[in-house]
Parts: sequence; structure tokens; C-alpha cells
Amino acid sequence: MTGFAGSHGDSGERRRRSDASPVITELIDEATVQGIAEEAWSALVGDEEFLVPLPGGLPDDAVSSWVEIVGPWNGAVVLTTGRSTAKELTRCLLAEHAPPVLDDEDVEDAMGELANVVGGNVKAVLPGPSVLGLPEVGTAPEPGLPADTCRVDLLWRGQSLTITVQGSAGVLDEQKNGVPL
Amino acid sequence: MRALVIDDSRAMRRIVSGILEGLGYEVQQAGHGREGLDVLDGGWLPDLVCVDWNMPVMDGLQFVSAVRSNPAWRQVTIMMVTSESEHTQIVRALAAGAHEYMIKPFTADAFRDKLALLGMLPEEVAL
Repeated sequence: MTGFAGSHGDSGERRRRSDASPVITELIDEATVQGIAEEAWSALVGDEEFLVPLPGGLPDDAVSSWVEIVGPWNGAVVLTTGRSTAKELTRCLLAEHAPPVLDDEDVEDAMGELANVVGGNVKAVLPGPSVLGLPEVGTAPEPGLPADTCRVDLLWRGQSLTITVQGSAGVLDEQKNGVPL
Repeated sequence: MRALVIDDSRAMRRIVSGILEGLGYEVQQAGHGREGLDVLDGGWLPDLVCVDWNMPVMDGLQFVSAVRSNPAWRQVTIMMVTSESEHTQIVRALAAGAHEYMIKPFTADAFRDKLALLGMLPEEVAL
């Protein structure tokens, strides 16, 4: 890139770098994300519930919930775990307020709320002003570049759960290509 | 005492309503600000409203502004209960007319402490 800039004077590279959104790894680290998650778990799931920072394989039936953040940094905070773990989480979250039988809507709602709480507190440590989207549940949005992804692999009650703070793929493509989409 | 709990999350409505019912409140729930206003318009006037910020149809800030624009609802105490935790957001909510601000996640004890600060614990519980 240096040779290119030298042969053409202003390549626009410096301008694009200064205009580009920051990548998430410049703004937040894994320990901060884990700390936010631990606080959410302790308050919402149970004060004796611990998240262990160990990687584990996600099952094939994994489900994700996420909230988008739009601002100086654009992306999403995504929680992913297996369906049975999501159901167990829902029962802990609702505790004595849980209905006798949990339906899919209960589980999706609880997973969405966990993403909302973690996402809201992640947003608070990012540069603002930013807007938090409404929770969504399903197949997680495609992440952007690895450099714009902060991923924490955790175990809860021995089951895998990942939290990723991931840049929007669209925004990164724009930065990468230097061409507005 | 009466409380209206407004949150688009069914789980959070159940949790907050459960705490309030445990304190002796009669509780109604709404899934967004517009539904909350419908409850008030219907004549069911609560002593306390716990309202989330980010919701579809009508968000919590719009709800607070709407309530504060109606003199008939002046005595309603409003607490925002939200994951929006930046200082600027807290200032906006209080400026719009919310009395207190509870950041998610919270424990039941922290929630009761906020109610105590507001003087909204039923007398028999506060003693």
C-alpha cells in the first residue's frame, strides 16, 4: 500500500482510514464483555449462576438472540446457545414466575431480553451516541471481518454459550472496498 | 396500590409484576407505550408505572412525555426500567418527567430499594 501511495500521491487511503468506523477490538475487549454478561447472569439468571470462560462446541440446534447497535460503531451483540440450554435459561430467568409449561415464545422472549440487557450495557461502553435495536431471535446475522468481532466462549452449567460483539458485514464491506454500498 | 408494567418482553413483565405483586400491588401489564396509554385512557389510574425504553409502536420516552402532557395523570409516579444505561439517556428520561431510573440488569432487592427511594413501598412493607 505504501508503494501505491508513493507512486500516486494521495491515494485516499489516509482519508478513508480516518473516516472509517472503529473496529470493535479497538473499543471493547473480551474481559469487559464477559464482565457485562456475568453481571446480567448474576442479577437475572441467579446469584449462584456462573459463566466459565471455556470454549465448548455449540450443538446443531443452536439458537441466537441479538440486538443491533447503530452509531459510530455499527454491529450486533449476539448470544448463541443450544435450544435446551435456552429453555433452561428461560426457566431460571422467570424463576417462580415461570408458567408450568414453557412455550417457544417464552424461550425466544427470554433469550431476546438477555441479548437486550447485555447489548444495552455493551452499548454503554462504546462511543456514542448510539441507538439500540429491538431484540431479535433466530439465525444470527453474518458477522463482518474477524478484526471487527469480539467473541467470548463461555460455559453455563457445563453447556456452551457464546457472546459475540460483531461488526455489521455491510459496513465492513463498504470500508473494505472504499465504495458506498 | 396499583402499578402498570410496560415492557415488550413478556419475561420482564412477569418478573417486575411478580416483585410488585409480592409487595401487595395490584398490577396491570402492557406490551408497549401505546397499550400503556390505552390502560390510562380506560380509567385505570396507577400509582406507579414501570416502563421500558426500547419498545415497538411507542417507546418509553414517548410514553413518559404523553403522560406528563396530561394534567389528569400528574400524580402518577414513573420509573424507567431499561438497559439504556448511558448518563445522557438517564438525563433525557428524567427531563421528560420520569421520577426514577432503574438499569437492567437488577435484582429484586435493588428494585425494592428504588421503590423505597420513591416512597412507593406499601406502608406495611416499608415498616
